[in-house]
Amino acid sequence: MLWKDKYKIGVALIDQQHQELFRRVADFIATVRGQGDWEERLAKVKATLAFMQEYVVTHFADEEAYQASINYPGLAAHKQIHDSFKQEVEQYAEKFAATGFNEDLIQSFAGKLMAWLINHVAREDQRIGEFARQEVRSNERTIC
Amino acid sequence: MKEQYVDSFLKAVQDVFALMLDLRAEKTNEENVDKFVTTDGANVTIGIRGDLSGTVLFTFPEKMALEMVKIMAGMEIDKLDNFVVSALSEVANIISGNALSNLNGYNYSCDLDPPQVVDAGKAIPAGKEAVRLPLKTGIGEFALNIALEEDDKTGK
Repeated sequence: MLWKDKYKIGVALIDQQHQELFRRVADFIATVRGQGDWEERLAKVKATLAFMQEYVVTHFADEEAYQASINYPGLAAHKQIHDSFKQEVEQYAEKFAATGFNEDLIQSFAGKLMAWLINHVAREDQRIGEFARQEVRSNERTIC
Repeated sequence: MKEQYVDSFLKAVQDVFALMLDLRAEKTNEENVDKFVTTDGANVTIGIRGDLSGTVLFTFPEKMALEMVKIMAGMEIDKLDNFVVSALSEVANIISGNALSNLNGYNYSCDLDPPQVVDAGKAIPAGKEAVRLPLKTGIGEFALNIALEEDDKTGK
């Protein structure tokens, strides 16, 4: 899964976390789609999944804290998107446990996660950067 | 079919393809149809409810489906499996969500049903008002099929 510079929002902490998130999801996809017997790969799939789930929660919390710090007007709507996604991931995790980590189900999850993340970072998160830049310009005008 | 419906979906396809795949998508034709025909590749349908009701069907031929997912994943993808179909279902979902935002600009308020995958080689009755839009991109051509009707109660 490829990181592109156009995904940067211009806030160092968030951009670093997005790049890390892309690396982790790429690692998860590579593991899920790797060669060899599924049962043999499963331990690594479980580990990368847990690692990634934890990072998603951390990143969402940090991103929401940043939005609050700049009084971002879209915070409530953005948080709702995060919450809805976290809920969906939890539902998948329950299904994984209930089906003994069925390979087809995890492949489906990985495909959805990849497309969701690209769109979320490339579209929704860009609005945070645009707002932050507008605020800086507005403050500069006030000082002048 | 109203131009507003077609334009809302076309703009959504073009925006999402540019953003997620760095690809341009151009409409090559628009034809009225009475049924939707699925391709040999990935076929995703999404129901629409609200001021407008109906269905959209995205038909991605296999070669193009694999290429789209290769662009997103940054790795070779050589078979149409659950990973590919799920990724394309989410892309169809994102496009449809954007189209609904565009329709909202014309004061139509609608919701989406979850994406459903349809088997290859199917012909699905499309209802009274249905169009098929073939769309050309740098990695192949796919079709967006739209069947949408106004809810009589809206009076729009």
